[in-house]
Amino acid sequence: MKNFRLISTILILVGTLLGQPPSGLEIIENTYNRPTSKTLEANLSMILENSRGDQRVREIKQFTKEFGGVEKKLMVFLKPNDIKNTTFMNWSFEDGSEDQWIYLPALKKVKRISSDSNSDYFMGSDFTYDDLGDRHPSEDTHKVTGEATIDGHECYVVESIPVDEEYMYSKTITWVIKDKWIGYKKEFYDEDEALLKQLSLVNYAEHGEIIVLTEVKMNNVQNDHSTIMRLSDVEVNKDIADNMFTERMMKRGLR
Amino acid sequence: MFKRLLIITLVYSSLFGQVEFGGYVRSYVGLRTGGDQEYAIIQNTLDLTLEGGSGSVSYFANPTIYQSPGSELDFDLSEIYLDMYFNNTDIRIGRQQIIWGKGDGVFITDIVSPKDLSEFLLADFDEIRTGITALKLNQYIGDQTFEFVYIPTFTASVFADTSSIWSRTPTFPVPITTDYSEKDIPATLENSEVFAKFSGILPFMDYEIMAGYMWDDDPSMHITPTFYGSPPALTEVTLAPQHHRLSVGGGSFSTELAGMVLRGEGAYYQGKQFLALNAMSYPIDLIEKDYFHYLLGLDFSIGSTRFSTQFIQQAIMGYDDMIVQEDAMNTLTFLTNRTFLRETLTAQLFAYVGLNKSDALIRPTLSYDLADGFEILGGANIFVKDADIADGDDPGQFGYYDDNDMLYMKVKYSF
Repeated sequence: MKNFRLISTILILVGTLLGQPPSGLEIIENTYNRPTSKTLEANLSMILENSRGDQRVREIKQFTKEFGGVEKKLMVFLKPNDIKNTTFMNWSFEDGSEDQWIYLPALKKVKRISSDSNSDYFMGSDFTYDDLGDRHPSEDTHKVTGEATIDGHECYVVESIPVDEEYMYSKTITWVIKDKWIGYKKEFYDEDEALLKQLSLVNYAEHGEIIVLTEVKMNNVQNDHSTIMRLSDVEVNKDIADNMFTERMMKRGLR
Repeated sequence: MFKRLLIITLVYSSLFGQVEFGGYVRSYVGLRTGGDQEYAIIQNTLDLTLEGGSGSVSYFANPTIYQSPGSELDFDLSEIYLDMYFNNTDIRIGRQQIIWGKGDGVFITDIVSPKDLSEFLLADFDEIRTGITALKLNQYIGDQTFEFVYIPTFTASVFADTSSIWSRTPTFPVPITTDYSEKDIPATLENSEVFAKFSGILPFMDYEIMAGYMWDDDPSMHITPTFYGSPPALTEVTLAPQHHRLSVGGGSFSTELAGMVLRGEGAYYQGKQFLALNAMSYPIDLIEKDYFHYLLGLDFSIGSTRFSTQFIQQAIMGYDDMIVQEDAMNTLTFLTNRTFLRETLTAQLFAYVGLNKSDALIRPTLSYDLADGFEILGGANIFVKDADIADGDDPGQFGYYDDNDMLYMKVKYSF
C-alpha cells in the first residue's frame, strides 16, 4: 500500500513538474490512499435538521482498527435512549466484501445482517452506508473538469461516473484540496442527473501526517434536510485491544 | 419490602450518583374486537434499569412495576446480577435472561430462560422471557466463546391463569380436579440444570453448538381418570402437572449468501412426554418420545423493505399413532417492515402460520417516533382459525384464540 502511494505521489509530482495536472484517477487515488491511522477512537454526534429547523441528535462511541487487510469497526449507540447500548460491528475486507452484525439489547443477541444495504440511509440521516465508507477509485471513472479556489483552498474538480449503471448516484463531483488530498466539497446527483446532496467539510484535525475529518455536513437539497457529523475526543493510533471487535464487546458495550 | 428497597436504592443513587439509570414508562391498552368488546388489557408500566460498577466488576438490576385499574401493583425483578470481567473470562451471577439461537420468535435452542406466556406469545421480546437465577461463565478464545450455565433451582414457564383470556386447559365432558402436589421441583443439587454452548462469529458464518440437561419448562399433564359403573363410564379426571427431565443437543448458524442472510437452528430433545389416547380413546395417557425441532430462515431486502421468513418443524421420532399431536408440526413465520420519514415511522407485519391446522396469528403494527425516545405504536392481533375445523377438534395453537382478536395501542417513553 505504501509503495503504491509513493509511486502515485511521484507520478503526480513528475506530472506537475512537466506542467501536466494529475488525472482524475490519480487525484481520487491519492485521496483514497491518504495516510490513515491504524486505530481510531472517537465520539460521534450526528445532528439531523429538517427544513423547520427541528433537530434530532444521535450519539455514538466508535472504535476502528486495522488488522492486516481487515478493517474492524465497533459502534456503540448512546442516544437517543430507546436505542442506547445497541451496538453495530463491521468487518471490511480488502476484496470489498463485508460482514456486519447488530446487537439489540432488547433481543439480547447478536444478529448477522446483510451488508448488501449500502444504499440505505444510516439512522435516518442524509448519509447512506456507502457515503460513510471508502469507495474504491476503481468503482468509478474519473476526469478532471477544472480547478477552483473555495474559501482560500485551491482545489481540483473531479467528476466521477459509476461503472455500475444501477448505482444510486448518476455522478458525483468532488473538490479536492491540492496540497492535502482531502475532499472539501462533494456533490451527489440522482438518477435523473439532478443535484441531490452536497457534502461540505467543516473542520478537520491533523495528527502528524494523518488528517481526520472532524466535522462534515451533508445537505439534501431536494428535501431541505441536513445532517452534521461531528467527531470529538478523537484519538488516533491508540492501543485498542484486539478483542474490542468481538461478540463479547458487542454485548458488553462500554461497561 | 420490595417497594421500600427500591425507594432506598433510588434515593441513595440520586444522592450519590453512583448508578446509571435508564428504562421506560409505557401505557398499553388492548381492546378485544369480538363479543362485548371488552378491554383485554389496560396497563401502565415503569421499567427501570440500574447499572454501575468500576473496572472489572459491574452490576445491573431491572425492576418493573405494572399497574392496572382495579388491581394491586405488580412488581417484577426480571434481572439482577453481578458481572466480573477477567482477561478472557466473564462471570455473571444472579437472576438473568439468557438468550441463545439464531431463530426469531421461536424457542429451539433458546431454552435456557423459560417463557412468560401469560399473554400467549404477544409480549415484547424482553418481557416474554423470565429471568433465572444462574451462574454463567464465558471463556473467550479469539472470536469464539465457550459458555457454561449452571442453574441451581428450576424455574418453570409462566402460563396464563384460568381467569385469563389466554388460559388453555384440557377439556373433558366430566368434572376436572387439578392436583399441583407434584408440580414444584425441590431445590436440590440433583435437580439443578446445566447448559453449555460453543459459539463463534467468523467471517462468512456464525455458529453455535449447544447441549443441556434440563427440566421441561412446560409441564406434562398427568391425567388420572375415574370410571364408574358397568360398563365403566368416565366420571371424573384429575390433572396433575409435572415437569420432566430433558436432554438436549443442538446448534445454529447464520451466513450471508448473495445479499441475503440464511439462518438455521435445530435441536434433538430426548425424553419428552407427549399426550396420547388410551385404549378407550380418551386423551389421558403420556408416551415418552424424542423429537427433533429445527428451522430454516432467510432475511432479505427488496428496495428499502426488509423481509424475514422461517420454516419450523417439530418431528416426533418413532411416532406412535396414539399420540394426540401429529408426527410433524409445521409452522411458517413471516416478517416484513419498512421505515418512512427518516426512520420515524415504521410499518411492520409479522405472522405465524400453522400449516397443519391452517391457523395463524397476524400482527400488523404502525409505530411513530413523536420525539427521540417517545414512541406511539398501534397494532392488531388477528387470530385465524380454519373454518372447516369441526367443533371439538383441535383448531391449532393460534386458531384456539380465534375469539381474542385485538386492537391495541402502546405509548412509550424511554429515558
